Amino acid sequence: MTAIDIKPKRRSSNRPMWDEEPSFIGKSLKSLFLIAYAAAIVVPLWAIVATSFASEDALTKAGGNLLLVPTDLTLAAYREIFSGGALTDSLVLTIILTVGGTAFSMVLTVCGAYALSRTGSLLHRPILMLVLFTFLFGPGLYPSFLVVQKLGLFNNYLSLILPVALSAFNLIVLRAFFMNTIPGELLDAARIDGAGEFRILLTIVLPMSKAILAVVALFYAVGYWNIYFSAVLYTPGLETQPIQVVLQRMLMSTQGLPDGASAAAQYQPQGEAAPTAALKMAVVVCTVIPIVIMYPFIQKHFTKAVITGAIKG
Amino acid sequence: MATMQSAAPPTSARTPNAPVVKRKRTAAQRLRHDWPLLVLALPVIAQLALFFYWPSAWNIIAFMDYSPHRPFWENPFVGFAWFQRLFNDPYFVPALLNTLKFAAAHLMFLFPLSVVLALVMHSVVSTKVRSTFQSIVYLPYFFSWVLVVTVFVQVLGADGLVSNWLMGLGGDRLSFTSNPDTFLLLAWMQWAWKDAGWGMIIFLAALASINPSLYEAAAVDGANRWRRMWHITLPGIRPVIILLLILQIGGILSVGFEQYQLQRQAVGYQATEVLDTYVYYRSVIGTEGASFGTAAGLFKGAIGLVLILGANKIAHRLGEQGIYQKS
Repeated sequence: MTAIDIKPKRRSSNRPMWDEEPSFIGKSLKSLFLIAYAAAIVVPLWAIVATSFASEDALTKAGGNLLLVPTDLTLAAYREIFSGGALTDSLVLTIILTVGGTAFSMVLTVCGAYALSRTGSLLHRPILMLVLFTFLFGPGLYPSFLVVQKLGLFNNYLSLILPVALSAFNLIVLRAFFMNTIPGELLDAARIDGAGEFRILLTIVLPMSKAILAVVALFYAVGYWNIYFSAVLYTPGLETQPIQVVLQRMLMSTQGLPDGASAAAQYQPQGEAAPTAALKMAVVVCTVIPIVIMYPFIQKHFTKAVITGAIKG
Repeated sequence: MATMQSAAPPTSARTPNAPVVKRKRTAAQRLRHDWPLLVLALPVIAQLALFFYWPSAWNIIAFMDYSPHRPFWENPFVGFAWFQRLFNDPYFVPALLNTLKFAAAHLMFLFPLSVVLALVMHSVVSTKVRSTFQSIVYLPYFFSWVLVVTVFVQVLGADGLVSNWLMGLGGDRLSFTSNPDTFLLLAWMQWAWKDAGWGMIIFLAALASINPSLYEAAAVDGANRWRRMWHITLPGIRPVIILLLILQIGGILSVGFEQYQLQRQAVGYQATEVLDTYVYYRSVIGTEGASFGTAAGLFKGAIGLVLILGANKIAHRLGEQGIYQKS
């Protein structure tokens, strides 16, 4: 009924002809739900950013850890982070880990995915099985820890990269892309013209897969940037820790104690004053910013990649 | 080369109809032809061998009285003694039950939330609203657990935003982020905040693959909104739902480490202990030995393996594709 007498001025021009306009109550409930859900994510993030710029006076006046409306803005917290102390070291370390780890992971994944994209080649099936089995079983926390020790990687930054360098999921996603999107005739033609596998990979396959390579790289990068568990397990004795570990230590200074404000004084890195809420929130902002910058790109290409991986894997 | 030749026959034996090779070639010929691919696969094989299969093999010490101070083969085999000890440990069973509790809650309360979010989103016609909302809800998926816990403490903690409002209104200080009795609810809220958007994106992609003319035909036949959802939408995303369910069931004992370890100090170990944190605190940094921790981990891994294979088998029985096809 309503499908026929569509009002031409209504914004729902995307609604197909056969679809009835939802009731006012239904629409309002839906909008309310969506707005509440989005606010639950946006408001805390906004408060964190606002607090990171707040001065100590403004924080004390507000009497809490988070401010919704920033007054009396200052960059003091950021100056402290980048002033060359432990926090700067931690950020530099995390950036190096992220860049180095991602590069290493990409080499592994691209080579493996291309090798496994050629069905029927020698040992193709057993190698694929080796990769797929990792989805079914986990070797367990203690044996992994033991192996890292046996390899002499305990308390060595390499233990933050090597054990997690390969994601079987990413490899399968990339392999599916190579198999389904790059025309086999093109590769066959190159082979007939005498190009070797390495050359085909470098000059044909990689240039045709730029978008998905970037997505996979960003996934690895987010993983390395967020490293926490590996550092707790494998490198507890090192002085400079990844940024997530540092953030966790700052958080622990107040969390879980009945009167958080006074407990903050217990945490004093190298005899300095306890971290203010502004400093903590500035560290949070620093850990979020790279992700937010990468985010639009991931989002653009991600869904397709996941679906290929989920369905073809 | 000899190893290549001996390794090749099982390939074809295990999968009689998979690779359609145009002409029969000997393994030596194939090696000459395919060696670059093997070289390319080598780094992956090495990484898996070192950091997946080698640790997997070390699981054997769960059946030994292992000590790092003597040569490996002098460690005596003790059968299932460590597993027996595990079940007699007063902390193990609570950790196992907690793990199952969190996994079940995740399955029952987070999974449907993602589906509901996707269905609501799917019914929004404005592309602008859709893309904005998707961007917002999906963003926290990329945040670390440290960050998520920080956000929750800052907002719902004793000194947090909400607590301060309540106190400003004359109420009491919130103890939500340190209350063991409500930790399950807190954990669920954290999952919803961090991961529900990811599930939503997956289901939305599945929804987008449903042929729109089905809806049109049903609408013309007089099916209303709800009937269309029941008869077209839900059957349309059933394979994806089942695939994700299988993966979840397989990982049911792998509820994660970070979320629980990070809140252990605040909430207390009784409410937050799961199998992974149990292994870490009892064995890696605790006083129990390597064999004990390995046995606990192997118990988890073995159950996970059985569950994922079982769930997949059931999916095949139900006529679904599951995680792998029987090719």
